[in-house]
Amino acid sequence: MKRAVLWVGGAVVLAAAAFFMGDYHNDVYRKLLLWIALALSYNFIFGIAGQVTFSHFAFYGIGAYGIVILLFYAALPWPLAILGAIALCVVLALAVAIPATRLEGFYLALATMAFAQLFIVVLNEGGAVTGGTGGLASYRLPRILGLDFSGRTYTVVIVLLVLATAAILRRIDNSWFGRACRAVRDNPEAAAAMGIDVARTKVIAFTVASVLAGIAGMAYAFVDNTVNPPIFGLENAFLLLFMVIVGGTGRHAGAVVGTVLLYLLPFVLSPLIGQHHALVFGVLMVAAILLQPRGLIGLYDRVARR
Amino acid sequence: MSLLLEVRGLTKRFGGLTAVHDLEFEVRAGEILGVIGPNGAGKTTTFNLVAGTYRPDAGEIRFAGEPIAGLAPHRIAARGVMRTFQHNRPFGGMALVDNVLVGAHRRFRATLASIVAGRARTEEARQRAAAQELVSFVGLAELAHADVTTLSFGQGRLLEIARALAGEPRLILLDEPAAGLTPAECARLAEIIRGIAARGIAVLLIEHDMHFLLPLAERVVVLNFGAKIADGLPAEVRAHPAVMDAYLGSHAAPH
Amino acid sequence: MQDFLELAVGAAASGCIYGLLALAYLVMIRPTGIINFAVGEWAMVGAFAGFLLLTQWHWPYALGMAAMLVFMLLVGWATERVAVRPLLEKAAPVLAPILALLGMLVVFRESISLLFGPDPHQVPYPFGYGRLEFGPLAGSYQSFFMIGVSLVVFGGAWYFFERTVAGKCFEAVALNRRAAALMGINLARVTALSFAAGGAIAGLAGILIGPNISAHYLMGVPLAIQGFTALVIGGVGRVAGALLGGLLLAFAEQLTVRYAPVPPGYAQGVPLVLLMIFLIVRPTGLLRARA
Repeated sequence: MKRAVLWVGGAVVLAAAAFFMGDYHNDVYRKLLLWIALALSYNFIFGIAGQVTFSHFAFYGIGAYGIVILLFYAALPWPLAILGAIALCVVLALAVAIPATRLEGFYLALATMAFAQLFIVVLNEGGAVTGGTGGLASYRLPRILGLDFSGRTYTVVIVLLVLATAAILRRIDNSWFGRACRAVRDNPEAAAAMGIDVARTKVIAFTVASVLAGIAGMAYAFVDNTVNPPIFGLENAFLLLFMVIVGGTGRHAGAVVGTVLLYLLPFVLSPLIGQHHALVFGVLMVAAILLQPRGLIGLYDRVARR
Repeated sequence: MSLLLEVRGLTKRFGGLTAVHDLEFEVRAGEILGVIGPNGAGKTTTFNLVAGTYRPDAGEIRFAGEPIAGLAPHRIAARGVMRTFQHNRPFGGMALVDNVLVGAHRRFRATLASIVAGRARTEEARQRAAAQELVSFVGLAELAHADVTTLSFGQGRLLEIARALAGEPRLILLDEPAAGLTPAECARLAEIIRGIAARGIAVLLIEHDMHFLLPLAERVVVLNFGAKIADGLPAEVRAHPAVMDAYLGSHAAPH
Repeated sequence: MQDFLELAVGAAASGCIYGLLALAYLVMIRPTGIINFAVGEWAMVGAFAGFLLLTQWHWPYALGMAAMLVFMLLVGWATERVAVRPLLEKAAPVLAPILALLGMLVVFRESISLLFGPDPHQVPYPFGYGRLEFGPLAGSYQSFFMIGVSLVVFGGAWYFFERTVAGKCFEAVALNRRAAALMGINLARVTALSFAAGGAIAGLAGILIGPNISAHYLMGVPLAIQGFTALVIGGVGRVAGALLGGLLLAFAEQLTVRYAPVPPGYAQGVPLVLLMIFLIVRPTGLLRARA
């Protein structure tokens, strides 16, 4: 009961914030929220399931491009478009995950990196369907059930999406499946001896996380009402990894902290370092791995324990 | 007593070396069977063949009447055969009681959909309570929420056992459980193993330390150079000439 | 056939560059198991060093190349010292330095971008723009230069690993770190040297390919992917594998662009598809490591 109150209260506060901010800040807020959703699902696949992947942003893109193409190019009604985009994510996630089960450690990372780059190549060469290098624009969020969800209301939709993602991941984490993912991460041979089907666990974890990224992508498509290739490339995939590591791998709170910090840092650093905030991210990432592998959350734990 | 595990004609070769040759033995429900032999006798290979880590080159292994030879380890575990590892393999990223809960993996009925819908809480609570009970049974109650990487070797050994028991097995395979334990820890371990058998769980115990095994096992199978050289009650085996021969000169020679 | 021969030299030259990058990965992976994805950025730094020394400061080519190599040896050594050594000493899992090096990748890229700006910069051709013909084979001076230099480097690497005692030490570390340490081999020194060598080889690849594609702060990651694909195709165990993988990749790319009925942009997809296929079907590569 108490937990439900916290979640509802949190939702209300986060949603209400949208109405106290101007358009520009709403835009930043929406994007921050989506990054948090991505970081939470990435933390699950990387921190909890222990799979180093670089395809998370590609699935974000598959969701984004998928919903736009199905809604406006294929002219499907919105429920079918949503289901279609999700189905596309599932199929592609399985196509990547099933052969990848035999890959360990960084070899998996490289295969997913190649997949992510290939996605960008397909987007760039996709002609009319994907809009090529310029991407797709000039579409708008359609009316759903006669209601217009754009503007501040859309921020509320995104808040609900992020909270739903967080809740789903939390429930999965605290279940036998979450433990199975951790067991496979920590010691696959022992996990198998406990009856865990290692390959199946890895595939399901990858698919669930990738589909959650795809759903966030569908929401993203209507944030700027434009999608183009560079957004979904390796740059951002690295950044997501950095956020999760700096914040604290394997911890939901860590993912949130790392994302908020690294997302807002450029706004603070811009006057000093212009466009090169990635330099600071790289330094923070190296520092985190060398000095505080448990991330900022680990630091907080240590301080809180005193 | 019914036959729970039957091994017939079991053979395993590694390149030119025959690690196990034409091995035959049985484990009956609820009994403690010891498999003993000098180092290199083929005990670990036998263990790994039963647990599914290796596929046999010849022979059969039947559990509760069903063939299991060559099945993947997780399928064998699902049928009720759980194992420990000689060199402790805890899941370092989880607390102790969660490690034990992983052992109960096959006992969970909730689907992913019901987990997401929040309907899996009762089962989770029930399993957690059962895991707590097992933690107490092996004597690690105060460490239930400890970081498993801080456990002593002996404590890690007890965790291995609790984790294997969490799967509610009918047969538990213990791989040299006494290795590296102090005499006090060995005594406690023997008590725990008797407790396991008392719960009706059959125990297949691989050991090379006769002092530990002979008082504990109800029957003993002795291996040497991959073949069985003796099979029977501990007292019989102790006096068996081939067994004494095998251990002559070794530090584990029986007195 | 004429067609094929015309692109053969160019493809071979590209293949040599990919091979050099694969070799850079290899000298670091073998003794440490660490995949240093920053080799692409190291190649970029080498290209920019070439721009600075040769185009801006007008140094003679040989001197500039030598200075770049020395600089890259230091860069490699420094990278290891900062991002790798502390983790190896802490006995961190091998993933930790790999991720730290990803952080360094970004640091290198952004530093170059900060120092030189976003525009491409010209790296000079040591022998100018001319073409050379050897019977049916024809190619630019630069192509032949690339092939020549690469063969020297590969020859040297092969000799080092196969014929020298130091090379045997590397092999020993690659096979069994603990045993090597017990035999008195200084692991820290081997690791530092492997990274220094990796830096120099990658920098060399950068300065060789620089004239063709211009030094640019984004050139690193594509090169890193191509180099790694070459390594996976050829097999991590052998120096010759790196070169073979590079050549196969380059020819696959060129043939796809020339003959495949897909838009030219898809040529970028060739290393990616090959990488995924090889990782899944034959991760050990084409050539087996010597037992």
